[in-house]
Amino acid sequence: MNEMSSPQTTAKNAEGVKIAVRNLNFFYGSAKPSLKNINLSLRTNEVTAFIGPSGCGKSTLLRVLNRMYELYPNQRAEGEVLLDGENILAPGLDLNLLRARVGMVFQKPTPFPMTIYENIAFGIRLYESLPKSEMDGRVEQALRGAALWPEVQDKLDASGLSLSGGQQQRLCIARTVAIKPEVILFDEPCSALDPISTAKVEELIDELSARYTIAIVTHNMQQAARVSKKTVFMYLGEMVEMDDTDKIFTSPKQQRTQDYITGRFG
Amino acid sequence: MNPFYASRRRTSKVAMALCTGATIFGLAWLTMILFTLFWNGFAGLTVALFTEMTPPPNAQGGGLLNAIVGSLILTILGIGVGAPIGILAGTYMAEYGRYSKITSVIRFINDILLSAPSIIIGLFVYGAVVVPMGGFSGLAGALALAVIALPVVVRTTEDMLLLVPTQLREAAVALGMPQSYMIRKITWRAARVGLVTGLLLAVARVSGETAPLLFTALSNQFWSVDLLKTMANLPVTINNFINNPDPNWKRLAWAGALLITLAVLSLNIVARSLSGGRNPK
Amino acid sequence: MTDVVVQEGAAAAPTNAWRAKALANFKTGDSTFRILAQLAAATVLLLLGGIILSLIIGAWPAITTYGVDFLTTQRWAPNARPNPVLGGLGPIYGTLISSVIALLIAVPVGLGIAIFLTELCPQWLRRPVGVAVELLAGIPSIIYGMWGFFVLGPLLADQIEPAIAEAVENIPILNVIFAGPASNLSLFNASLVLAIMILPFVTAIARDVFNTVPPVLKEAAYGLGCTTWEVVRRVVIPYTRVGVIGGIMLALGRALGETMAVTFVIGNSFRISGSIFAPGTTISAAIASEFAESRDLHQSALILLGLLLFVLTFFVLAAARLMLMRLERKQGA
Repeated sequence: MNEMSSPQTTAKNAEGVKIAVRNLNFFYGSAKPSLKNINLSLRTNEVTAFIGPSGCGKSTLLRVLNRMYELYPNQRAEGEVLLDGENILAPGLDLNLLRARVGMVFQKPTPFPMTIYENIAFGIRLYESLPKSEMDGRVEQALRGAALWPEVQDKLDASGLSLSGGQQQRLCIARTVAIKPEVILFDEPCSALDPISTAKVEELIDELSARYTIAIVTHNMQQAARVSKKTVFMYLGEMVEMDDTDKIFTSPKQQRTQDYITGRFG
Repeated sequence: MNPFYASRRRTSKVAMALCTGATIFGLAWLTMILFTLFWNGFAGLTVALFTEMTPPPNAQGGGLLNAIVGSLILTILGIGVGAPIGILAGTYMAEYGRYSKITSVIRFINDILLSAPSIIIGLFVYGAVVVPMGGFSGLAGALALAVIALPVVVRTTEDMLLLVPTQLREAAVALGMPQSYMIRKITWRAARVGLVTGLLLAVARVSGETAPLLFTALSNQFWSVDLLKTMANLPVTINNFINNPDPNWKRLAWAGALLITLAVLSLNIVARSLSGGRNPK
Repeated sequence: MTDVVVQEGAAAAPTNAWRAKALANFKTGDSTFRILAQLAAATVLLLLGGIILSLIIGAWPAITTYGVDFLTTQRWAPNARPNPVLGGLGPIYGTLISSVIALLIAVPVGLGIAIFLTELCPQWLRRPVGVAVELLAGIPSIIYGMWGFFVLGPLLADQIEPAIAEAVENIPILNVIFAGPASNLSLFNASLVLAIMILPFVTAIARDVFNTVPPVLKEAAYGLGCTTWEVVRRVVIPYTRVGVIGGIMLALGRALGETMAVTFVIGNSFRISGSIFAPGTTISAAIASEFAESRDLHQSALILLGLLLFVLTFFVLAAARLMLMRLERKQGA
């Protein structure tokens, strides 16, 4: 089992780069690759958005970053993904530890079938055994961090499923934040939410970026423009262009990017 | 009216009448059987049934206490052995082995075991337990019931666990949760109603079985809680009593039959209402 | 909006070391659980193997003594000297005939009820009737046996059988099948009881299978002006044919192996008679009646009967399962 700070790491990441993806190819079964030769970097404490038409591979790429694909047979990745200089695609890597460092928020809110309090405490207990008073504090901290505390502080014993969709999603964010990750991956977090909840979550992402490195996949270009510092445009499994967000949306370098942004296809 | 259409309509009406007749036919049998059961069994439903032991032939009074207690012991033990194995097996099939070919083989074999004649199970336990032990025993009976309960629990567990959305699992794994922890704390918990339903169905199935007990636990006239000896139980006792001309025994047999039927029907009804009408065949 | 000021960066570095330690605690428990689950799953397979092995071992003396003749000998004399003469033809015949007759009755009636439930029944009545049918399936089989013995038997012996015998008195083949003294205990009685027992299975499966027909298909047929019967005959049944057959075979499997309902009313005679009004026996009834006191070759012969029954039901159930799997695939894919 590779400890996360083993001396066998390849070259350390460049200054300010949290995750470096090098020559990544991804395969479902042994067919043609779904991700072709991806090379990009996610900078520390920045929000990077991934946009592109359906099936372009943006979710697939996100799920490589925490090796979520390992749950399913016939899916494999080739190449390197360096988290603080260590290749997380290395065999024998402790996946549980990786996922504690790289958290994920999914498209559909998935609160656990437990109370609101337990939803948060559950994850914390995996790694720390805390006395009740300290746990209470951590739960409150996580819920505040997800901008949910005022709405649930009186009903921590209610089931997580009793919340509205937007609140459930923020609960999931709180749950992810509670275990102190370094990176948070958002996979179309607002596509199941109404506009008001969406606005709240976007505000949250903005605040979270001060402390975490964030990658967000979205099919909503305006959302990418609002929330992210850097944007990656993907098409058919390839990375077409990556640049500062305002540059991508005002003067992209690639024709295909331009076409997508202006709605020529998508 | 078009004569062609008229004859088509007639055919349909006749056919539909036959179908309605079939339904009345079927329900009539149900009513008749339940009526016979209640009519004959009701008189025997006294307090004595639950407080007195089985009487010798051609006596008066008596009850079914030892048989009831024996059945409870056998059922609890049988479920206690069969259900955990069944839940773990179903968990393997739905979680660890979900995509592996051997899971489909296991499912296939399990379904066959599910419908296999229960007397064969009795023969199996006879050869595997009674013969080595040198005699009939409550333990053998309990194991026979465990073998009968196992496929029921495996089937319902796998079905219920497969219903839990994959996203819930992914959310748990995304926090770094080890798989067994995720299964026990999240997946089982999410499916708990279904799992309990499966247990209830297994208990209902096991409660009504006579054949596998006929030559494993046999039965016992007296108070028997020793697992290493023959153990009194309701189904075999009923079987013995009903085949005897003694009217007192017959009375008790009908009462016992009514008891079992009520237990099985209530378990089925509870299981059904828990699962909200979904049919875990 | 939030009022948290936490130095996350500083906490992250030592986090990983003790996180690794915390996760290490799960290691053994995690693999133990996994191994237990694998063992439990293997138990299912081992059970099947164990049953087959145990049956073969127990039946071996009878197999070597009687060989293939076992399948064709009718005589069953466990107490004959010097060696018991045992042939399985009687029970095998009884098992097959009673199951076939039971199917002949239960399948049309069961399909009829299923059609009623899916096409004719008013919406508010559907659940109660469906539930009633399924409860029938849950009644322990010994109850059917008792009812068959005390109620159906006398009814058959006193009224129905004489009536049928009289009606077919002059018809060549039928008057042999329905001949003989009317009896409480007979193959006919057992077949009827079996029919009622498997009726709920046929109905439940047929109904579930009928419900898988996409409503658009039926609506298209109704839209053309088809009568209800025509929709059933031309759309529903062809669409679900494989599933219905699978269901029938499941019911057959159940009928073949049924013990208690049959034992009470079949009369336990190993002689094959031309008339179904005569007593007979089935494999499971024979085992149930004689096993507890049997020994040596007699017992081995009974186990051999059990082995034959198991092989028969195995094939029937496997075929049923394969057919139902095909229907599921057709639906799901």
